[in-house]
Amino acid sequence: MLDQRVDPATVSVWRVETTAIAVFIAFSCAGPLLEDSIVLAVAVFCAVMVISVPLGWWWSKARYERLSYRVDDLGVTIREGVWWWTHKSVPRVRIQHTDVSQGPLQRRYGVATLKLYTAGSRYTKVELEGLRHEDALALRDRLLSKEAQGD
Amino acid sequence: MTDGTFEPDQRLHPTSWLFAVFAFVRQLIVPLAAAAFFGSRDGNPTWLWPVAAVILAAALWKQWFYRYGLGPTGLVIREGLFFRNVRQIDYARIENIDTERSLLHRLLGVAEVRVETSTGGKAEASIQVLGLAAAEELRERVFAARGGEAREHTARKAEDVLLAMSTAEVVKFGLIDNRGLIVVAGVVGFLYEAGVMEVWSAVLRAAVSPELMARLIARGMVIQIALMLIVLLGAVLVLRVLSVALALFTFHGFTLTRVDNDLRTSYGLLTRLSLTLRLQRIQAAHVTQTLLHRVFDRVAVRVDLAGGGASPEAQQQGRGRVRWLAPLAAPNRARELIARALPDVDFTRTTEWQPLSPRAYGRVMRKSAALWSVVGLGFAVMLHALWPFLLIAVGVPISMCYAAMYVRYTRWALQDDALFFRRGWLTRKLVIVPRNRVQVVCLGESPFDRRYRMASLRVDTAGAASPTDQIRIPYLDLEVARELARALETTAAAQTKAAPAEVAGT
Repeated sequence: MLDQRVDPATVSVWRVETTAIAVFIAFSCAGPLLEDSIVLAVAVFCAVMVISVPLGWWWSKARYERLSYRVDDLGVTIREGVWWWTHKSVPRVRIQHTDVSQGPLQRRYGVATLKLYTAGSRYTKVELEGLRHEDALALRDRLLSKEAQGD
Repeated sequence: MTDGTFEPDQRLHPTSWLFAVFAFVRQLIVPLAAAAFFGSRDGNPTWLWPVAAVILAAALWKQWFYRYGLGPTGLVIREGLFFRNVRQIDYARIENIDTERSLLHRLLGVAEVRVETSTGGKAEASIQVLGLAAAEELRERVFAARGGEAREHTARKAEDVLLAMSTAEVVKFGLIDNRGLIVVAGVVGFLYEAGVMEVWSAVLRAAVSPELMARLIARGMVIQIALMLIVLLGAVLVLRVLSVALALFTFHGFTLTRVDNDLRTSYGLLTRLSLTLRLQRIQAAHVTQTLLHRVFDRVAVRVDLAGGGASPEAQQQGRGRVRWLAPLAAPNRARELIARALPDVDFTRTTEWQPLSPRAYGRVMRKSAALWSVVGLGFAVMLHALWPFLLIAVGVPISMCYAAMYVRYTRWALQDDALFFRRGWLTRKLVIVPRNRVQVVCLGESPFDRRYRMASLRVDTAGAASPTDQIRIPYLDLEVARELARALETTAAAQTKAAPAEVAGT
């Protein structure tokens, strides 16, 4: 089976998230300057926003472009990472249990995160973020049914 | 699955209350000590007696109503009368039954028994305490109940000694393993807390009078250096002696035995530990050889156990113990022991070691040289001096040596049944992971890797004691790394399907 992409709606989720982070950073940079001069504080706030918001938007898109997954008989393979590329493969028989979780933002855009738990030490939890909620549930069921067949 | 009508009827050892009291006191030691200290100022701490009575009553109560028993499908433990708790642990899920015996346990001929399942982290049940015979019976019956064929084995009770460390070996371990420093740090910390240090410095000031110091200084440079060397030598000697003493306490009488199909280690002078290493749970073997190990021609061998308490909570509780296969053994002997511990792996073949990418040397060298240069430049700018440029001049040849050694001693080998990885020049480490124990394979490409078309490969297994212990092969050619990853993921999935019983940590 070919590599599959997650739902593009997840880009919006990440963009909202990165914008929120940018606002937070801008506030914490500008906040201490308020006492000295309001103009300077506003300038710093704007400067940080001008740099970080487009960066966040670009990063969300790039993350989406890089993220792909594949499910086959052996297991699940996830490719991701914008700067640091990784290619994780989780054999199907190693999946102990799975979670499908949805944050409030994700619910708004109808996407979900599929979490695969293994008995490993470093990768005890492998996450696949940005699947459509129905797809995540279907994938979970598929992984579970194959697991049952294996026994 | 519960054994509805089964009622456990076995009781704890008659002296159990004593250990329960100790456990209570240990938990309350800080508040109790503080209260006793501040309370004692106004006379006798009479309030201590009711507290002691309550603790004693609680301990006796626990012992009186504690029952355990071997039900048809699992171990059943019932506690309490008003707040009754019944715990059932299926035989199939019990992975380990370890015993721990402190000096007091040994004087009374009892043991604390810990029942571990693969849940990881802390023990599922801790039975405190049983007589030795009862503990052994529990262990045998639990493992016998696991499978029909195991029962015949236990009847014979085959027990081969695979490794027994003599006192001389334990002393060697102490000499190599410099843990004396930990003791010193602990003692100094304790003394400092207790305020002994101030007394000591006062004593020192009185003993070393200004005249003595003046005379010492007058003796000249050579004597001063000699004195310093003597003090240094003494410190090293004291550390080694402490380290040996510590080794004798912890590893006295270390034995590795084979019981049925499992391995069992037991060791300790005062607190005697007996740990079972179930072959099905062994995930990886680690061989370490420091420079001192090579002087004595020895290696140290550890194994990782699935669910063996690598979780952070377990480590905080100090339960994440190192599972030694052999704290110290001759290299040949160690190889035999590893072959026993990993029966799925064929050790008769010669390992075909593969090098890293040919371009790895350049990258390691440039990385190291860049680090030296940054440090040198930083100092030069900060101090407005020229001498830090010497750091760069020295750093380049050192980096070249380092890179050459790094590349030369980092090797990997893929067999049909296992992945081998060794690294390090001064301290050499070897990791052996059977391919059917691989959990997750992660191929990583950093921006630098991409520039050179290289990749690193990380192989995740269960029960690793620390992240640095795991296999991470850096600087592989991208094609080689991809091929290796592909091979590993295929077998990790395939081999376990063939033998479902081997599924680790389920």
